[in-house]
Amino acid sequence: MPGLGRAALVVALALVVYAALAGGYAAVKGRRRLGDSARNALVASFVACLTASLVLWGAFLSDDLRFTYVAEHSSRNLPTRYAFTAFWGGQEGSLLLWALVLTAIGSAAVLLNRRLVSDVLPWTVPILGAVATFFLLVLVVVSSPFATTPEPADGLGLNTSLQNPYMIAHPPLLYLGYVGLTIPFAFAMAALASRRVDERWLVATRRWTLAAWTCLGVGILLGAKWAYEEVGWGGWYAWDPVENAALMPWLVSTAFLHSVMVQEKKGMLRVWNVILVALAFCLALFGTFLTRSGVLNSIHSFAESSIGGWFLGFICLAAAASIALIVSRLPLLRSRTKMESLVSREAAFLYNNLFLVAFALTVLWGVAWPLVSEAVRGIQTTVGAPYYDFFAIAFGLPLVLLMGLGPLVAWRRASLRSLGAQVAVPAAVAVAFGIGLVFAGAADSPAGLIGYTFAVFVLAAIVLEFARGTHARKALGETSWPAAFASLVGRNRRRYGGYIVHAAIALLVIGAVGIGAFHTTRVATLSPGEAMTVEDYELRLVGVTDQRVANREELRARLAVTRDGDPSGFVSAGKNRYFAPGETPSNEVAIRTDWLRAEDLFVIGDQFNADGSVVLKVFVNPLVNLIWLAGFVFLLGSVVAMWPDAREQARLARRLSYAPAVREA
Amino acid sequence: MASRRIPVRLVVALSVAAALAVFLLYTSFAGGATDSLRPSQLLAGNYAGKEVQLAGIVKGPLAGDPHAGGLRFTLKDFDGPQKVEVVYMGSVPDLFAAERHVYLRGTLENGTFVGEEDSLVTKCPSKYAPKADGEPT
Repeated sequence: MPGLGRAALVVALALVVYAALAGGYAAVKGRRRLGDSARNALVASFVACLTASLVLWGAFLSDDLRFTYVAEHSSRNLPTRYAFTAFWGGQEGSLLLWALVLTAIGSAAVLLNRRLVSDVLPWTVPILGAVATFFLLVLVVVSSPFATTPEPADGLGLNTSLQNPYMIAHPPLLYLGYVGLTIPFAFAMAALASRRVDERWLVATRRWTLAAWTCLGVGILLGAKWAYEEVGWGGWYAWDPVENAALMPWLVSTAFLHSVMVQEKKGMLRVWNVILVALAFCLALFGTFLTRSGVLNSIHSFAESSIGGWFLGFICLAAAASIALIVSRLPLLRSRTKMESLVSREAAFLYNNLFLVAFALTVLWGVAWPLVSEAVRGIQTTVGAPYYDFFAIAFGLPLVLLMGLGPLVAWRRASLRSLGAQVAVPAAVAVAFGIGLVFAGAADSPAGLIGYTFAVFVLAAIVLEFARGTHARKALGETSWPAAFASLVGRNRRRYGGYIVHAAIALLVIGAVGIGAFHTTRVATLSPGEAMTVEDYELRLVGVTDQRVANREELRARLAVTRDGDPSGFVSAGKNRYFAPGETPSNEVAIRTDWLRAEDLFVIGDQFNADGSVVLKVFVNPLVNLIWLAGFVFLLGSVVAMWPDAREQARLARRLSYAPAVREA
Repeated sequence: MASRRIPVRLVVALSVAAALAVFLLYTSFAGGATDSLRPSQLLAGNYAGKEVQLAGIVKGPLAGDPHAGGLRFTLKDFDGPQKVEVVYMGSVPDLFAAERHVYLRGTLENGTFVGEEDSLVTKCPSKYAPKADGEPT
């Protein structure tokens, strides 16, 4: 079977090389049939990648430890669901997943868009082929999952921290996001190469971009939830380089999803949009590079391997080729209209874009700084959480404000008076809320207070928009309020889906501010019978238990919790120590959620002493559960915005058929 | 009112300038970055009393209590014999053990590296990915 896997990868490589070279030649020379065969080769490469992937999955599920990769990432007693996900537990499998997803969605995007952008497609195929060539080349030459070894008695097992439901979904979602950003990149570059730079490539890729962006966003939040519950340090986001690696392309693609609306409506920001697409793609590659190269001190950098140079080379190549192509097509990308006012919807989108990209670039600077400083001074220098927190506040707060203001500003030109009338109600609600918070003692953190106030402004503005729209639909003859609401959202899914996503971000901001600015931490060493107080909770150590189950020893501190003097049950926090040699212990935190306040009591059994005492670290994290709620709302909004809309398609088709194709002068 | 065209480039340039100003403001007030060193670099340079990040391999014996008096161990260069004594207070990651790759923030005081509370981070053990030759950074 390893032979079949290797052969499938070599065939896949040959097919994508053909798609890239023959497709490129066909595009330059206008050979349609050759172009079709290149496209078919791309589709066939998916079948080859799928074959290779099935071989690897088969090896994991049947504990075929002759595969070095399986022996290093699985063991005979690994539960089936984790044997399935151990596929991407290491570098080789992750790269194969990249290749599989890329050839799958690349083929699907090419096949589904062959009518809309038939004149751009001859270039899309070779670009997708070239990207796939890189990954398959690395898989075949440097980092094959099909290397074999004399069969050991048992495998090394899967990292215990990856044996978690969140880790089943988190890595593939991030990969779907990273790989998904290849689609808008390939179409944008193909539009430039073919000189068909009208708005059709945006229409062709909008849902693909939205889907990739949604996967990245949900993937980041799932990772945060995993870190919160499993890593158990009391926080949810630590500005780790690998967390940042996913955040950067998400921020840039967020900017892109906003600025495409300006291009669609006004024909502006055309250069900017192709720059954003190229930047998002390069950052997605950079993200994979950071995760897999181990160049930085990061708890994630367990894959200290030799593929770093390959990735760096490919990122430089992709960036250089994109820049060259964009520069060579600048004359074709001139805006058809100019911005008329700094107070307009398009200006609001521009501000939003600048803040998002500035934030992404400052994060990039922070992540790359150790490498830059080592190259220049010979000593790595790192920036910590204060650096990122500063920029998250400096760029984040204006972004939240813009999220509330933007949808209320008219396109083209808005008078300050009309804007004032639109903003008055949500602003009054937010200010009243902010004043209330000051009296409630939230003024200790000015940034937190402003964050809360802006987030409430956004939520109030969104509720008002929904209310106004629903009222208008009802006035137009809808029979009931729910019908009016459904009709409102159904008729403009993109807009109202976007509002729902805005509401999710506002919830996330409230949750992040809650845990970031207003959490309480206490550390105490308790002997049985002793108690500690944190905010309005009292925790009394009832005793310590030491249970041996199947493959581990479970040490637990059992604590009786009272809140405001009322008994509130028990929690158990501690550690699991695994018997298998080499297995690392795991931190088993106790989390007690107050759903009404969205607050967590978070208890870490940090150290179990020989005298029976326990070092406990206790957090009260206010509003933290709004972060997870935001994930569901975010997904809902994205699905609404992505949902196929025949009316919108007809509108776009009508408009685009009238749009003059921009050809070479 | 006559319509006045706003050049996008001007807005972009002004915004970039504003962002740079914020950046300068930050570096002026909040200070710069922290050097990330190996034991040999820490001992060779003039770092006494300066906050740095130290990375290396944990060598035993591990002694003391991280919550009372401090956990004591030695950190060794990844690729050399140089070592430095470390004393650390705060939470110890689950993966912490002798021979693990760790990093922590702190200052060099009288030849001993005094770790900052809760700054100790352990890299995942290399059993999950065979190390390439050379030094992991």
